[in-house]
Amino acid sequence: MQEFILNTGRKTNQSMYLEGPGKFSDQYIQAVSTAEMNPEDVKALGIKDRARLTSKDGVSVVVYVKPTNRIPPGYVFLPPGPWANVLVTEDTDAIGVPSFRTEKIIVEATSEPVTTLNDILKIFGAKTLEIPRNTDIPLKGGEKRIVENVVCTICGELCDYLKIELDGNKIVRNIGGCAKSVAKYLSYHKDRILKPYIRVNNKLVEVSLEEALEKATDILVGAKYPLIYGLSVTNVETNEYAIQLAELLRGVIDNPSTFCHGPTSLGVQETGGVFSTFGDLLNIADLVIFWGSDPVNSHINHLSRNITPKGRFIGGRKERKMVVIDARRTELADMADLFIQIKPSRDLELITALRMVLHDLDLETDNVAGVPRDMVLKLADMMASAKYGIIMYGLGITENGVKHRNVEEMMKLIQDLNEYTKFSVIPMRGHGNVVGSNEVSLWLTGYPYAVDFARGFPRMYVGVTTAMDLLINGDVDAALIIGHDPAASFPRKAIQHLSKIPVILIDPKWSLTASFADVIIPSGMTGIECGGAAYRMDKIPIRLKKILDPPPGVLCDHEILKLLIEKVIKRKEGGKL
Amino acid sequence: MTQILIKNGYVFDPLNNIKGEVMDIAIKDGKIVDSRNLNPSEEITIIDAKGKIVMPGGIDIHSHIAGPKINIGRLMRPEDHYMTNVPGEFPYIRAETGLSTPNVFKIGYEYARMGYTLAAEPATPPVMTRHTHHELNDIPIIDKMAYVIVDSNWILLDLIANNDPKLLAAYLAWVLKSTKTYSLKLVDPGSDFAWLLQGRGLDIYEQIPVYGFTPADIVKNVAEAAQMLNLPHKVHIHCNKLGFPGNYATTIKTMELSSKVHKMTEGPAMHITHVQFTGYKGDSWSTLESGGEDIAKVLNSNPDVTLDLGQVIPGRSVTTMTGDAPFEYVLYHLTRNKWYSSDVETDGASGIVPYKYKEKSYVNTVQWVIGLEITLLVQDISRVFIATDHPNAGLFTDYPLVFSWLMSKKAREETMKKLSQKALKKSALPAIDRELTLYDIALMTRASPAKLLGLENTKGHLGIGADADVAIYDIDPMNMDLSKDYNKVIQGFRKAWLVIKNGEIVVRDGEIINPLVTGSTYYASPEVPVSLEKDLYKAIYNKIKQYYTITYESFIIDEKELLKSKVMNLRTSLG
Repeated sequence: MQEFILNTGRKTNQSMYLEGPGKFSDQYIQAVSTAEMNPEDVKALGIKDRARLTSKDGVSVVVYVKPTNRIPPGYVFLPPGPWANVLVTEDTDAIGVPSFRTEKIIVEATSEPVTTLNDILKIFGAKTLEIPRNTDIPLKGGEKRIVENVVCTICGELCDYLKIELDGNKIVRNIGGCAKSVAKYLSYHKDRILKPYIRVNNKLVEVSLEEALEKATDILVGAKYPLIYGLSVTNVETNEYAIQLAELLRGVIDNPSTFCHGPTSLGVQETGGVFSTFGDLLNIADLVIFWGSDPVNSHINHLSRNITPKGRFIGGRKERKMVVIDARRTELADMADLFIQIKPSRDLELITALRMVLHDLDLETDNVAGVPRDMVLKLADMMASAKYGIIMYGLGITENGVKHRNVEEMMKLIQDLNEYTKFSVIPMRGHGNVVGSNEVSLWLTGYPYAVDFARGFPRMYVGVTTAMDLLINGDVDAALIIGHDPAASFPRKAIQHLSKIPVILIDPKWSLTASFADVIIPSGMTGIECGGAAYRMDKIPIRLKKILDPPPGVLCDHEILKLLIEKVIKRKEGGKL
Repeated sequence: MTQILIKNGYVFDPLNNIKGEVMDIAIKDGKIVDSRNLNPSEEITIIDAKGKIVMPGGIDIHSHIAGPKINIGRLMRPEDHYMTNVPGEFPYIRAETGLSTPNVFKIGYEYARMGYTLAAEPATPPVMTRHTHHELNDIPIIDKMAYVIVDSNWILLDLIANNDPKLLAAYLAWVLKSTKTYSLKLVDPGSDFAWLLQGRGLDIYEQIPVYGFTPADIVKNVAEAAQMLNLPHKVHIHCNKLGFPGNYATTIKTMELSSKVHKMTEGPAMHITHVQFTGYKGDSWSTLESGGEDIAKVLNSNPDVTLDLGQVIPGRSVTTMTGDAPFEYVLYHLTRNKWYSSDVETDGASGIVPYKYKEKSYVNTVQWVIGLEITLLVQDISRVFIATDHPNAGLFTDYPLVFSWLMSKKAREETMKKLSQKALKKSALPAIDRELTLYDIALMTRASPAKLLGLENTKGHLGIGADADVAIYDIDPMNMDLSKDYNKVIQGFRKAWLVIKNGEIVVRDGEIINPLVTGSTYYASPEVPVSLEKDLYKAIYNKIKQYYTITYESFIIDEKELLKSKVMNLRTSLG
């Protein structure tokens, strides 16, 4: 029995199928139930095409296995999704970030069938497996029009130059969007929740919006400590109302930065940092370093927007040096001028070594985290002699190893580099408005996420008020999920708690979390049927466009929250008398 | 709508020449009216302000309250937030957090509690200004506005190089309208551009890289464009070399540029902001001295210049935040505190470093005397404005302290006992006897700011037709010796007895009673003739496409994005 390390990270096809055909499609299921392993390991274990993966607390899934040289030996790479999350246990390092990259698992060859989605939902404790899915918005051709400068809200790039062609309410073409964006726009009508539902016994029963809102109010007002979670793909206004609602309920509110770039916020809290926006990257950066980030799969337009083209002071890709630092040989690494393969989870050592070199201290080891000493010196020299360098880092830094301590040290490295030259970071933020969720939270409460109102004023204690810990420790007694799918993205124990408490789900599409919901309220899709504003990953705020009306009877997230707030206030005022 | 009659108070209304007379103030439908116009058949709320002073709502012309760097400031100061939690009150009074980086609710409520009803965010980079408006929208009760930073903007620099003043003015009009801002801000002019390319700041007559002209050229060009645009508040300048010993010379050179500006309209030609930070004599920190006397002299002889103090508050923990990125780099090296810096594409940069002013520090004491020296030595205090460059030199909630120092020599002496005696020996302040009056304070914090912002028709006074923004303080000038009992000044101004905004009572006994009153966001809209706009579009459309990484359409902020807007339509001389 050999122990392996499980690493979960984005793959284009996984997110493309998520956006397009959806989470119940064969394509998505295939993508997230296929693990990649090094061919040597595959051979040594006698794996044909499937393996049984077992978590350290004894829970197993069977997955497909694809051998590839890109994965170092000793590691199993699985895209984020239900199969991976069965194996992720409850450790959050006391900062609310699960071990998505460092979970230890046992791998054995097997010929059992691959675990089905329904089996996994059962492991998670789903309240019902009968989801009234496969409801699409009926498409009707009609007026042909082209809308320019539509803003895509999938990822932190917030590409604001999409050209969308419509025929009636059918989206026919998406020019400018990446593969994920095309999938999302062209399938916007698929698998939509078109009516509100309340769960009665094990069935979801269609109800009126008023009934659903009343039941949701019952749940929220009746809870002692409700959790509001999600929001990073909704607009600014929705985030504002959600925080107001959490305050009224004396509950707690969190968003996905809690396990993604929350560590970036924690690092800035401790140290500060030096940052840039895309324009600085495009117009002047002559050295770009991707560290623990894979934009080819996570931010697909990033390179073609910001690195390839000419800028005001720099002649495009050929005048820039691109360095990739990663534990696996990503496709991006193939495009780099220099690829530095680092031993997984040991980035802190390399960051520290670089700082030492900049401070004229000797490196006494002959390699740092698997990187030869000469290479470390070379990298430090490249950085110090750049005219304008930018490190773009992702979850490989924030979710890995010592997490926010990586970020702190990275910020100090950048500050040190500013003794020599201009150097900054751009954190590769994932969701389209996760920065907006942090910014709204900051100006309303002073904290970027994990904000608790139990005492009537905002408090943030990572490891206590972070969503993962709240759920894993069973601290919350109700949940309002807005625009997210925890059943597809949280560790197993967190999802299991959702099966024990009342859950309200507000979402445009059918998701795995619908199996845990007691109330379901449909919403319009932000950036297509609902406007507002969102913040790009470099903090530039962009106004979203509405190009279609939501389906009849379906409201936008912020409208739904506004109604809930009114009901909650009325209900609580009534109680006071 | 509400009718209110304030009786028996001592009214201070410098714009209408009222210097403490007892008189009634009548309010109806959000405006000050003649008391005979009140409708006796409808309810009239009578407020007996006997033994109290009545002033128009205060106006803060420079306070960092909204925008990207304020929010990073909040992120960087959780240690502040843990100390200052005030629960909200169900259902509509929201929780307050923060000390030097308060949340939006604390900002609105604390200004209201102090009887201030309008505040200006003085520095927003164009491409980020949508964020500034998001925050301004969420600040309750008070009116607001923002000044847009333009000095290191690439398109501005290109247009200055082109030497076409009309096109430049048209561009600046476009920036104001696109960003829905009120005035033009220069922050260490040109330095953020040099910082981007060379990692350093510039003095006023040094050459800007790539372009060759100087920061003085930026000041002159923008000041003249502001004249052409007939802006109510022309140009708001944070001088070069901020934070460097000896920089008072740069400030004086900047002030002297005002005489070179071709004036086309009424009012001052330029405003120098937080002059304390650029008022240092001496050639090193250990030989630092106040340049206050010299600056006061130059202010006296340059009638087209106004300035605000940036008054330091000894003992105060602050968070310095400014578009002067090179300066924050210096402060980071001096203090080794947390340091945040951000380059903002095409528009400039910013920096944040927490700091504390220590009472016994020689340097911090020199900083303290500068603002007070200037105010008490200047002849025309209508051109001097009280501010602490919140939260850089102090917090806006410290203003009552500043009032007490200006009104009471005893207050100054009590504070001076705690400070560095070595620094005080070199200062003119200990020998100054002058004490300002309540009227002077009303002038400096109500009448003059309203005029400076071109709002004197509706703000800053209590005459008929003014907006009903009124503050009543529990300070009795007849029965108190405000010079002796200066603590009454501090307490009285810190928590107003009653505050009215938009004709509704919002504060009573220092407590918020009507949190849902919303202020308006003011912005300027200078008129540009169609043909010039066409030329402008041709000149800048491709630059926007090339320089920025958002579309032209994304750049423009729609009026609907402001919660409650108030546009200042301006006739210009561009036709």
